[in-house]
Amino acid sequence: MALASRRTRSANYQTLALNRFLVIFSFLAVPLGLYFVWVLWPTLYTFYLSLTNWDSFTPPVFAGFENYKNLFSDPEFQHAILNNAIWILVFITVPTAAGLALATVLNNNLRFDRFLKVAYFLPMVIAPVIIALIWSWIYLPQQGLLNAFINLVLQLLKTIGFNVDPKSAYSIGWLGDPKLALVAVMAPAVWRQTGYVMILYLAGLKTVDSEVVEAAKVDGATGWTMFRYVIFPMLSPVTTIVVVVSIIDSLRSFDIVNVMTKGGPVSSTEVLANYMYVKSFDDNRLGYGAAIAVVLFGFALIFVMMYLRQVMAQEDEGTA
Amino acid sequence: MKRKLLMGLVGLGMAAGLAGVVAQSGTGKLVYNSDASDPAPKAYDQKIVAQFKAKYPGIEMTHNTVDHESFKQAIRTYLASDTPPDVLTWFAGNRMRFFSSKDLAADIGSVWKDNGWEKTFPKGFQALSQDKGKYVFLPTSYYWWAMYYRKDIFQKLGLKEAKTWPEFLGLCRSLNKAGVTPIMTGSKFLWPLGGWFDFLDMRVNGPQFHVDLTDGKIAYTDSRVRKVFSYWKQLLDNKCFLENSASYDWQDAAQLMTQGKGAMYLMGDFIRDQWKDGLEATQLDFFRFPIINAKMPMGEEAPTDGFFVPTKAPNIANAKLFMGYLGSKEAMEQGAKELGRLVPRSDIDKGLYASKPQIAKAQATIIEPADYIAQFYDRDTDPEMANIGMKGFQQFMQDPSQLSSILKNLEATRERIYGKITK
Repeated sequence: MALASRRTRSANYQTLALNRFLVIFSFLAVPLGLYFVWVLWPTLYTFYLSLTNWDSFTPPVFAGFENYKNLFSDPEFQHAILNNAIWILVFITVPTAAGLALATVLNNNLRFDRFLKVAYFLPMVIAPVIIALIWSWIYLPQQGLLNAFINLVLQLLKTIGFNVDPKSAYSIGWLGDPKLALVAVMAPAVWRQTGYVMILYLAGLKTVDSEVVEAAKVDGATGWTMFRYVIFPMLSPVTTIVVVVSIIDSLRSFDIVNVMTKGGPVSSTEVLANYMYVKSFDDNRLGYGAAIAVVLFGFALIFVMMYLRQVMAQEDEGTA
Repeated sequence: MKRKLLMGLVGLGMAAGLAGVVAQSGTGKLVYNSDASDPAPKAYDQKIVAQFKAKYPGIEMTHNTVDHESFKQAIRTYLASDTPPDVLTWFAGNRMRFFSSKDLAADIGSVWKDNGWEKTFPKGFQALSQDKGKYVFLPTSYYWWAMYYRKDIFQKLGLKEAKTWPEFLGLCRSLNKAGVTPIMTGSKFLWPLGGWFDFLDMRVNGPQFHVDLTDGKIAYTDSRVRKVFSYWKQLLDNKCFLENSASYDWQDAAQLMTQGKGAMYLMGDFIRDQWKDGLEATQLDFFRFPIINAKMPMGEEAPTDGFFVPTKAPNIANAKLFMGYLGSKEAMEQGAKELGRLVPRSDIDKGLYASKPQIAKAQATIIEPADYIAQFYDRDTDPEMANIGMKGFQQFMQDPSQLSSILKNLEATRERIYGKITK
């Protein structure tokens, strides 16, 4: 009797567990299905394509690691990697420092601080393609705003008595000179990123424990010492996220490069994402493009992992 | 009763006859994808579609316009699908052969025959429309490239159109002396430099050499290719080109020319659209690219646009009806009248060009004397070769001392795409 009831109970548990699984599965099925179709499958397929030669018409021809071998002897690819590395270095330093500085200053309940915060954040709201277009006009040597401004400054210098030729301003080819182009292309990206970093740090500053700050004040910490030894260390989780996000964003840099220079002149502004696009869709070498995509994926994966670890660690701290 | 039956039969017969007529003039669907996304060509395109619809009301026609840069990529997806659009806009030359050589373009020989086009299209255009003896393309418009110049500036400085290379270099020197940039070019997106290479190569080595080179049969490291660049370098040495040309796209540079800061521009006739308020009539003129080696046959550039039908098109019969209309005298005369561009049919009313004196001039001085019509570097050679080639030209413009390494790089690319040269 007792045995029989126990058996039915365990059967009940089993059906319950099954029901629970079915419910959970039915909730997850749609997102999992979408994830598989839109993320996982294309990723796996790209890995496969990178081992083939494909012109997008005739079926892909398996080529083993030929694309990868060619890639590493391709000077343009090396140039793109170098430029991506420069992007990363600039992105983790310049917008991070500028954003942190802005956030620290604007966190002190200044006059018009709302207006200033909005003003600095606004570039983030504009689509990168639009930013790229506007900045290309600013950079035009003879018609652009920037050289007109430099011309004005030189004219001023000349009236003071310096020996300069104001007209020479119009021969600065910001996007046309391989020596200047990379800096000129990165400038709008940095400008856009700074506002974003500022917002992240402003949010971080709100969480800084005021008691600690008070205690530090009592101990005599002020100004730079306060920032360097009290506030900045407390912001370190935000800093990690800012750095990792900046790295991922710089690896993603495509839109601004593609619109402003398409990697030129003479591949001086080439980055991996743009090179991948050009090889795949302009030159119709989709296998080669896929190999570039896989390399880019590998780089991004390292930093995405770092980012996820940091975010998860923070979540654990939050629940603990 | 009998009479009623008879009447009924007659009625049925009439209905069947009518149905026959309807079927002949087309029923069912027709999908037409076009890259005519600029305002004027788009409006014209829509008009032609409306006229065709009025003519064949039984056909349920869908007309999609795609931005022309996107179209170049989208067309590969169209052709890879099992139900491609029925009619597509496209370009003659290597770009058309790229598809037709893969059996992706339907044989439209019947359209050519039924419409008698072999009598109304010049031989050059018939050849351009075929691949391996089959008609796969319908050319409907072309335009010419030439050395455009500000005739008001030339007049003011007492300069004349250059016929030969020394005269051309002389123009550069005089314009520089007058403080006007001699030649505009906006090479940010590379292609305007393709025109420079094409003309210099055809003038120095002749059109046949150029065809062989763009077909991948001649090495870029060949001494004859080097010679082309030695002429290009003379222009750089004489400071003929706009400084920082890689900073500008072609329109930015054309803008400088409309402002009178530059005097010449090697461009297609579409440069005309950059002038507003009819100022081009008093400011803009053109001359044939100067002769370098008088012994060489004359090659000119006249890129040709048109239409083709994909092999897998679901509604081939309707597609052929539409092609027939697109190539008709009526449609082409309208194109000449409304877009002012050259159409290939030789039987159209020449009076239509009366208000566009540039067309008569181009026909007389460029098209008719030409021994060969090229399609343009990026249409005549493999797309990847064209991209890397033009990047090389840009690098040469920046630093001519790099020529050897540039040509070595181009040759490596040529060899990878076309294979080793066997003699």
